[in-house]
Amino acid sequence: MPGSKRFEILRNRPVNKDGFIREWPELGFCAMRSPYDPAPSLTIENGKIVEMDGKRREDFDFIDAFVADYAIRQEQAGESMSAPELGIARMMADINVPRADVVRMVSGCTPAKLARVLDYLNVVEMMMAMQKMRVRRTPSTQAHITNRKDDPAQIAADAAEGALRGFREEETTVGVARYAPLNAVALLIGSQTGRPGVLTQCAVEEATELALGIRGFTTYAETISVYGTERVFVDGDDTPYSKAFLTSAYASRGLKTRFTSGSGSEVLMGCAEQKSMLYLEIRCLMVTKGAGTQGVQNGSVSCVGIPAAVPSGIREILAENLAAACLDLECASSNDQSFTHSDMRRTARTMLQFLPGTDFIFSGYAAEPNYDNMFAGSNFDAEDFDDYNVLQRDMMVDGGLRPVKEEEAVRVRQKAAGAVQAVFRRLGLAEITDEQVEAATYAHGSDDTPERDALADVLGADQMMARGVTGLDVVKALAESGFQDIADSVLQMLKQRITGDYLQTSAILDENFNVISGVNDPNDYQGPGTGYRVGGERWKEIQEIPNLIETD
Amino acid sequence: MDIEKHDYEQLIAEIAGILRDVLNERAQNAGGMPGFSEGSASPAPRPAAASSKPTPAKFSRSSDPREVIIGVGPAFLAELTATLNGLPHAEVLREIAAGVEEEGMIPRAVKVYKTSDVAFIGKEAAELSGSGVGVGLQSKGTAVIHRKDLYPLTNLELFPQAPLMTLAHYRQIGQNAARYAKGERVKPMKVLNDPMTRASYQVKAALMHNRETALADTRRPAEDFA
Repeated sequence: MPGSKRFEILRNRPVNKDGFIREWPELGFCAMRSPYDPAPSLTIENGKIVEMDGKRREDFDFIDAFVADYAIRQEQAGESMSAPELGIARMMADINVPRADVVRMVSGCTPAKLARVLDYLNVVEMMMAMQKMRVRRTPSTQAHITNRKDDPAQIAADAAEGALRGFREEETTVGVARYAPLNAVALLIGSQTGRPGVLTQCAVEEATELALGIRGFTTYAETISVYGTERVFVDGDDTPYSKAFLTSAYASRGLKTRFTSGSGSEVLMGCAEQKSMLYLEIRCLMVTKGAGTQGVQNGSVSCVGIPAAVPSGIREILAENLAAACLDLECASSNDQSFTHSDMRRTARTMLQFLPGTDFIFSGYAAEPNYDNMFAGSNFDAEDFDDYNVLQRDMMVDGGLRPVKEEEAVRVRQKAAGAVQAVFRRLGLAEITDEQVEAATYAHGSDDTPERDALADVLGADQMMARGVTGLDVVKALAESGFQDIADSVLQMLKQRITGDYLQTSAILDENFNVISGVNDPNDYQGPGTGYRVGGERWKEIQEIPNLIETD
Repeated sequence: MDIEKHDYEQLIAEIAGILRDVLNERAQNAGGMPGFSEGSASPAPRPAAASSKPTPAKFSRSSDPREVIIGVGPAFLAELTATLNGLPHAEVLREIAAGVEEEGMIPRAVKVYKTSDVAFIGKEAAELSGSGVGVGLQSKGTAVIHRKDLYPLTNLELFPQAPLMTLAHYRQIGQNAARYAKGERVKPMKVLNDPMTRASYQVKAALMHNRETALADTRRPAEDFA
C-alpha cells in the first residue's frame, strides 16, 4: 500500500513524539479508577477506626493507619460515608452549596470514597467545583527561578523580573547540589528587589532544605514529598510520621510549609500496588491533612508523563487538585513540568487550572527559558510571558501575572544582580564581576552569560555554611552596601517567621507585607456575582499589554 | 534527542513483554491473580537469565583508599542490557571504570540488590568503597556520585536525565568520582538539561524501573560484579 501523505504529516506532528500507553492497572497505569481500587467502607468502634476501605485495622499499612488516626473526622464519618457518591459530587459542582458544606462532607470520607466521588465529575464540573473550592479568594501563581550554570547574578535578575511580573512565590533548585545556599541567597535578594513580599524557597534534599530555612535563606518549604504506597515511602527512607515530624521542625521556626505529592510517582517507582493514580494521590493528600501542614503542591508534578500517557490522565490531574481543595488544603496546582511536544496540548492542560483559578496556578512557571529550568522543564517558560498575558486579557481571567515594560525589567534585573554582587563580596564568596552583572541584566538565559568558576562557588558555599552565616548577615551586607530598601524587605520577610500570620492556609503577602490567606480572604464563590472577580486596577493592568495599536 | 519512534515502540514492547513474564511467573508462584500482589515487597530473584553467567562472588570489603566502587542496579546486565537511550551496559560500566583508572584509582563494580533507587545504590556503593566515594548506576542509566558521610538523598553530583548521557559523560563521571576519592577540589561536570526528556522518555523509564524494582530484594547483600 502506498503511504498516505496526510498520515505522514500527522505522524510528524509534535504530539506524536509524546509517549502514550494503554491502561495497564496491574502496573498502576490507570488514571481514576482501577478494577483493583477498594470499595469505600468504614467501621468505627469505641472511637477508633477498626476497618477502612475493605481492610481491617490489623492489615493496615502505615498510610492506612495514619489516615485512619489523623485524617478522618469521626463525628462526620457517619453522614459522609452513607451519602451517595453522586450526591457529594453534585454538591461540589452546585453553586448553591457553600464551600464550607463540601469541606465538612469530605472531612468524613475515606480515600476510596473521595476517589469515587471525583470520578462522577467531568472536567467542566471539576472546574466549576475548583472555582468554589480553592481556599484563597484571590488566585495567584509561582515561578521557578533556576539556570544551568547556577549563576547567582542570573538567579537574582530573573527573580527580580519574576517578582515584578507578579509571581507571589519563587522557587529555585540546583544543577549541582552544593550550590544550594548560594542559589537560596541570590533568590532571596532578587525576589525582594523586584517586588517586596515574595515568598522564596530552595528545593533540595530535605535536611539541607530545612537548614536553609532555619538560617533564614528561604521563607517557605515545599519539597516535603509524600507517597501513596508504603513501599515507595520506605524506599525513600521515610514514613508519614517522619514527614509530620519534619513539618513540626519547620513550624517551630515559623516557616510556611506545604507537602508535595502527585500521581504517577508510585508507577514510576514500580510500586503502585495495582491501584489507580487518583486513589493513591488521595491517600497522599489525607496524609498531608493528617500531618497538619497547611497545603500541598500536587497535580502529578514531576511524574506528569505517566498520567499524561493514559486515557483521562489530564482529567485526573485536575481531580487531584480539586481533592486537595476539598480537603481544605492550599493547592499549588503544578503545571510546572513539561510533558508534551505539542503547544496545543500543553496549553489545554493548563487551562484546567487557569480558568477556575487555584491558590497557585503554576508551581511553578519557568521564569527563565526552559533550557535553564533545572526542574527539567516547566509547562510554560519565559518565552510564553506575552502569550500568557494575552490569555488573561482575552478571557478576563486573573492568572496572577501582568505585562511589564522592558525598561522596568532591565532596571530591577540590574539592581538585583548588583545587590547580589555586593553581598557576595561582603560574605567573602566567589567574586561576581561587573561583566557578569551586566550579562545577567540583559540576558535571556545562561547561553548569554559568562562561565562561573564552579569550583570556587561550591567551596564558598561550603564555607558559608560552616561559618554559620544567616539571613541577618544578608540583611547587614545589603545595608552596608547601600541597598537599604532591599535590606529592609529581607528583614521584613524574616520577621514573618516571628509574627507567624503567614502560617495560615494559602497565605501570600502583598508588597506591604500584609498577609492574604484563607482566613482574611476566604473564597466565597457561590455563582455569578460572587467570589473573586477581575476588575478595577487589576483589570486595567491586565489590559495594558505592550503590543497595542496606538490610536491617537 | 528523539530516538526513532519505531525503536522506542519496539523497546517498550520488549520491556512490557519481560514485565508480563515476571508478573505471570509471580502470579503462578503466589497462586493468585496476575500482577503485583500487595505487600510482596521481596520477590524471589529470577534464576533464568543468570544461567549463562558465573555465580557472583560474595563481596568482601577492601580498605584500600584508592578503591572507587561502582554500584549497579539489580537488573543491570541481566534482565536489562542497555540504558534508556540504548547505550549497552557493558560499555557504560567500562567507561566509568576507565575514568576511575585514568585518575590512578582502582575501580570495582558491585551489584546492589537491596534497592533500585539511584540515591541509595550510590550511598551503598560509597559505604562499601575503600575510599568512601562511590558511583551509583541504575539500569536505565541514571547515575550519581556519592560519599559515605552524606545523607542518602543528597550527593556530590547527580545525573538525572539519562537519555542525554553519552559514553564520554560516563567516563567523566569515573574521573570525577576518582578525584573526589583523592580529596581533590573537583569541578562538577557541566549540567545537561533537555525540557522534552520527560515527554519522550518518562513512560519508558517507568517500565524499565518497574523491571528493576521487581528484582530488588531488601535482604540480599551486594555482590561483586565482574
